[in-house]
Amino acid sequence: MSDNTKLVNHNDNEIHITSYVEHFGTWISLILLTFMTVFISVFGADLNTLTVATALFIASIKALVVAYYFMHLKYDPKIYRVMIIVVMALFLFFLLMLVVDYLTR
Amino acid sequence: MTDSSMSQPSYLNIKKGLFSWIFTLDHKRIGLLYLYSVGAFFLVGAALGVLMRLELLNPGGDLIEAQTYNQVFTLHGVIMIFLFIIPSIPAVFGNFFLPIMLGTDDVAFPRLNLMSWWLYVIGALFALSTLVFGDGPADTGWTFYAPYSVKTGTNVSMSVLAAFILGFSSILTGLNFIVTIHRLRAPGMGFNQMPLFSWALYATSWIQLLATPIIGITLLMIVAERMLGIGLFDPSIGGDPILYQHLFWIYSHPAVYIMALPAMGIVSEIIPTFAQRTIFGYKAIAYSSMAIAFVGYFVWGHHMFTSGMSGPAAYIFSILTFFVAIPTSIKVFNWLATMYKGSISIEVPLLYAVGFIFNFLIGGLTGLVNGALAADVHLHDTYFVVGHFHYVMFGGTGFAFFGALHYWFPKIWGKMYNKLVANVAFAIIFIGFNTLYFPMLILGIMGMPRRYYDYLPEFHSLNQISTYGSWILVSGLLLMIYNLIRGYFNGTKTTDNPWNGITLEWQTKSPPPLHNFDKAPELVKGGPYNYPNAIDGSH
Ligand code: HEM
Ligand SMILES: [Cu+2]
Repeated sequence: MSDNTKLVNHNDNEIHITSYVEHFGTWISLILLTFMTVFISVFGADLNTLTVATALFIASIKALVVAYYFMHLKYDPKIYRVMIIVVMALFLFFLLMLVVDYLTR
Repeated sequence: MTDSSMSQPSYLNIKKGLFSWIFTLDHKRIGLLYLYSVGAFFLVGAALGVLMRLELLNPGGDLIEAQTYNQVFTLHGVIMIFLFIIPSIPAVFGNFFLPIMLGTDDVAFPRLNLMSWWLYVIGALFALSTLVFGDGPADTGWTFYAPYSVKTGTNVSMSVLAAFILGFSSILTGLNFIVTIHRLRAPGMGFNQMPLFSWALYATSWIQLLATPIIGITLLMIVAERMLGIGLFDPSIGGDPILYQHLFWIYSHPAVYIMALPAMGIVSEIIPTFAQRTIFGYKAIAYSSMAIAFVGYFVWGHHMFTSGMSGPAAYIFSILTFFVAIPTSIKVFNWLATMYKGSISIEVPLLYAVGFIFNFLIGGLTGLVNGALAADVHLHDTYFVVGHFHYVMFGGTGFAFFGALHYWFPKIWGKMYNKLVANVAFAIIFIGFNTLYFPMLILGIMGMPRRYYDYLPEFHSLNQISTYGSWILVSGLLLMIYNLIRGYFNGTKTTDNPWNGITLEWQTKSPPPLHNFDKAPELVKGGPYNYPNAIDGSH
């Protein structure tokens, strides 16, 4: 089960039994990251614009943790990772162009 | 139609009654449900279009008032975009033919498929409810631009919720097709042995899945802004109206390819069948669909050149826009090369396909004119734009839709329409269409703005020509519809393969049995368009 380089075909109804350690690890890291977000927004006001950037950065890490461990991306074929990366890239391009527009107006 | 003793009954006869249709899980029946609903809304939208053209026959508000006119073009736009053109080819012909062309018996999620049609119906009811509830249909244009859409008293919230629900319908169709294509291809059919229509639907589905949620959220933001005054888009409370336009067009430009790509897929099916010849450049056509879908995400700003977006952003978007032209023209050259030296039989579907190429070329090239930053500063929000997008959406996708209807009519119902009448109807539609919309391109260059119920005297004669064109067009459309309905009731029975097509839908009976094939279909050796008797010296 831990061999995540192997391509897993969901047609074969293979079931991944994730260990408690992994589930709890995911949960605890999410809680810690949430505390970090709160902490920064309440006490880190002097970061100014960086506050938003940091909050977004932490949120992205949380999303990745959820996708990778909880949603079993680590067991899925590589193509799924490619798809997610493409989507994230599209989204980043959208943000990039928004920022270009705002900063050069 | 032979040896019916040992085969299943056709999907049309298996059960009767209204409920056997509106709760069906059969992809073919769901396709037809979509056909009837989409067709009905096309007629409503067309009636509103003709009403606008009547108003514009002469200058001055002689038929409807300014405010009514604003609501009419908004309703026309919303109906044509969300209720007709986006679902048209994928939801009707994609549903009906994708599983058959892949050699399987249904889409991956039949229940989701039915749910997507029901969402379509509910969304349509929401859109129509604005006619009776609140202060009438929205008057914002189909684009719902803020801050006006936040301030107007008309029923924007309801229209916007309609589009939101219709978006879900579209997402479910896309999801269904992606899984179907990945999972249910006939044994031995790799991605590169799929018909090009499936490739086109595949590219389209990714756009439906990835882009539609953005418009959903954006439209909800409009509702939130109207009800709670959050300050997202309304500058008077700290919002940014240009942000709305960014969010709107990051969906709505890719959505243009939800409209165009399936049409290109149809043309890629029709042309090899009627040229009896292998499609030229299979991979180029297939991959250019994917390329168009991808590049389509990077160009949305070309709708915003004059809206206050920054100069540097405008240059970048203008340059990027030109890249979309490359994969599109690859397709056009490949279609022409397919016909070159083929043994062409000029049947009605081919006429519509060639009509598509002609109209789409005008639509695409005028699109490049709009994409050129300097030109667009003059042409933005003029009738040039109205001419341009009708050439793409109606002259392109609309024609492909009619072509598909004539191409697959004998397969769907096992009968044939009157071909002579169909030819005449095509000719009238083609002439009417160009008479209606070509003058708009000239009017736009002369400076006539869009979305007005009135115009200056110097625009009179071209507007008259355009309105006459709408009458010609509508008579052609009515003749076409009459001919198809008559074919449905009294058409002569056809064979299973009247056009000598070789994609898998032509191997089964007309109309197909419930599970599509009585025996497993045989894949054509050497690719889906490898015509056995093609006279082929060129490659
Ligand atoms: C009988 C056929 C049709 C006629 C006579 C017609 C006529 C018109 C006219 C005159 C306008 C411009 C209104 C203005 O700017 O003042 C318009 C706008 C529009 N049409 Fe059509 N049209 C027809 C079919 C279609 C089709 C098939 C589609 C799409 C598939 C379509 C999509 C649109 C859209 C999106 C707008 C823009 C609405 C807006 O400004 O918000 N039309 N049409
Ligand atoms: Cu665009």
